[in-house]
Amino acid sequence: MKEDVFTFIVGGKAGEGVRKAGSVAARLFASMGRQVFHMDEYGSLIKGGHNFSVVSSTTRRITSHYMKADLVVAPDKRSYDLHKEHLTEGGILVYNSDAVKDVEGLGVPLMTEAKKYPNPDLKIGVGAVAILAASVGWDRGRIKSLIENEYPRDIENNVAYAMTIYDIVHTKIGKKFHLDEGDRERPIITGNEAIALGAVVGGLDVFFAYPMTPSSSVLHYLASHEKDLGVVAVHPENEIAVINMAIGSTFAGARAMVGSSGGGFALMQEAFSLAGMVEAPVLCYLGSRPGPSTGVPTYTSQGDLKFAIHQGQGEFPRIVASPGSMEEGFYLAAEMLDLLWRFQTPGILLTEKHLAESRMTVDIDPKKAKWPEPIMHGGGEYKRYLDTKDGISPLLFPPSKELIKWDSYEHDELGITTEDPDTIVKMQEKRQKKQMAITEHMKGMHTVNVYGNKSPKIFTYGSTTLSVLEALKAGKMEARVVQPIYLEPLPEWELEKYRGEDVIVVEQSCAGQFASILAEKAGIEPKAVIKKYDGRPFDPVDLAAKIKEVV
Amino acid sequence: MNDLATYAENTWCPGCGNFGIFNAFKKAVKTLEEKGIGRDKIIISAGIGCHGKIFDYLKLSGLYSIHGRSMSTVQGMKIANPDLKVVAFAGDGDAFGEGLAHMMFAAKRNADITVIVHDNGVYGLTTGQFTPTSDKGFRGPSTPRGSIEEPFNPLALMLEAGATFVARGYPVKLNHLLNIMVQAVEHEGFSFVDVLQPCVTFNNTYQRYNKLVEILDHMPESYQEAMNFAKRTDKLPLGIIYKKEKPSFHTAFYGDWNPVTKRLSKQERIKRVRALLSP
Repeated sequence: MKEDVFTFIVGGKAGEGVRKAGSVAARLFASMGRQVFHMDEYGSLIKGGHNFSVVSSTTRRITSHYMKADLVVAPDKRSYDLHKEHLTEGGILVYNSDAVKDVEGLGVPLMTEAKKYPNPDLKIGVGAVAILAASVGWDRGRIKSLIENEYPRDIENNVAYAMTIYDIVHTKIGKKFHLDEGDRERPIITGNEAIALGAVVGGLDVFFAYPMTPSSSVLHYLASHEKDLGVVAVHPENEIAVINMAIGSTFAGARAMVGSSGGGFALMQEAFSLAGMVEAPVLCYLGSRPGPSTGVPTYTSQGDLKFAIHQGQGEFPRIVASPGSMEEGFYLAAEMLDLLWRFQTPGILLTEKHLAESRMTVDIDPKKAKWPEPIMHGGGEYKRYLDTKDGISPLLFPPSKELIKWDSYEHDELGITTEDPDTIVKMQEKRQKKQMAITEHMKGMHTVNVYGNKSPKIFTYGSTTLSVLEALKAGKMEARVVQPIYLEPLPEWELEKYRGEDVIVVEQSCAGQFASILAEKAGIEPKAVIKKYDGRPFDPVDLAAKIKEVV
Repeated sequence: MNDLATYAENTWCPGCGNFGIFNAFKKAVKTLEEKGIGRDKIIISAGIGCHGKIFDYLKLSGLYSIHGRSMSTVQGMKIANPDLKVVAFAGDGDAFGEGLAHMMFAAKRNADITVIVHDNGVYGLTTGQFTPTSDKGFRGPSTPRGSIEEPFNPLALMLEAGATFVARGYPVKLNHLLNIMVQAVEHEGFSFVDVLQPCVTFNNTYQRYNKLVEILDHMPESYQEAMNFAKRTDKLPLGIIYKKEKPSFHTAFYGDWNPVTKRLSKQERIKRVRALLSP
């Protein structure tokens, strides 16, 4: 079923370098020219609990991890018990013989050896990588240089430990698996990194965020690359400050973006509406996790779709888009900046933890990214809210001899507060004209991805697209996968042809929000909705079976 | 002065303390222009309430913000383009109710902004409720039996939070107030100006303030002395009670960078992102 895919799982307590081991394993595969998908499952804690990394790899494009592993490394009893279920037929389970006794598999004294060095807990992940390297036939030199590159802190001890573990397992499982080399080595990035970099290429100047999983790593990434990228990343007191600062930045002419998850985003609603009124092009990044409320912070969900498209009081245009892959996240961040600056209105880039934090090998050409070129004031007397045919008023930034007034109250063309009924009507209609202009513009854009042209017709969006595409490969099935990239306005003009057809929806929402929006806005009544809402992304094999069931 | 006023109809009550703040600020802008800070670089924001109408009346560029957020709005402007001089007008409900956290943090990080609080101890525009600076016992529609809360002391709060310029003015002493405003805008760092603003309709404090205010003859020499002045109730000292030189947020954060005027070109960004993406 998945003979071309090799999967590695490493589990353990938080603080044992499990996620790092997953990253290094991904790099190991990528350095063989293979393509990789790496998913981390972790709890909302710093020490203890149970974390694991799943890394699947093959020589073709791969868009999901698989929960059946060829090699499992279990440093403790809990990992062993949990992941022995994840072992595929013919797979190998290597466990820490210091922690687990009298079980099947290959026991290795991971801790006894680790205790010969400082910080033994942190060594466990290094050992897991060494086991993987031996099992896929890497020689000592190759694994040594990988460890040196990936574990630069305490480099000598890490190499010594890795070599010890490598030598122990080499005689037993060395070259157990043969992995083909792929075509070339690719970068591996998370969805959040892709979005951060795409926004930078698309003109981002300032980023504001208050930490909230799973969006925080955009803040971390940009903050750690401020100098390399010429971007300012600020962490203010709360989400309300975050978005109000961002709006102030756009007034000064900066391309601004904010990031949060559902709860933090709820705090931004008031200012999201402010952005609609003053016509501030603020790009909002919303990374979803299961709600309501605090919910399940470090897991995935698509439960914020309707929340995203209905942000903010009052009526004003907004654009909501959700990428179906890391690459698409990159280009879409830039495209959203272009659109928002063109139409001067706020917008949301919606993702889920699964796309935000999972990592995969990517092919990205930064040259293909869009760049915002807003309509600028051409001279003469300036009116911020000049009523034009399409509702778009030219921009002008301070310092200027002209008066530039952005106003949260209803306002006249100059930006002075008004309660005059005719002016209210004019401005409401001006914003409505922008809404129509956005739709007209988007009709000329690529707004829906369609993969394949067979039956069944499967509708999905966001990171679930990754799962669906891999499920079709896992199940050796053909289909037509329809993925709207834009969710507001929903590209009905592309979707209406599916009305009355047999359609299956796949989404990670209990209420079936995506299916309901398709019905409401595009008149598409799905015959089946495959849902998952346990916080975990789909496994491609399971999903393939579910699709076969409903077809 | 009329070249600093818009055509917006003025709807403040006759005798409102806001007129003094409005006039003092227009004069302050003139003075700043004489000192080389052009009005094109003086950018304003305001919250929501009677004070906020100053945004419509002043012929200066800016963003009319929402309740309690004008200090965040101007911080964003300053971070984006530090060449601008930014001033946020706020009511006492804005500054110490809805936007208290923003005030405390703007002071804490020494954001290079000026906040002028029209401190009248009452929500005028929503018909006279008590505010964070209303006296205990204040009777309004939401506290018919009298407020049971002690008021905040704005000067002490801002001193404690780390403000590097703290002053109190009174619109009746117009020239004194305008001088404070000029120095507040010139100060590099977080400038806080608490203006005792009588509300003739809901909280007429003219007589009381006329008796209590006292213009300081010298600036207190220490933080502790400033705090003592801030906490006086027998008299209400007017003037700059504290001023300290300290790197402002944007300078400490990114030195001489300017996200807007020094923005990297598309080509340069492509180059740098490509470098980060190489495996």
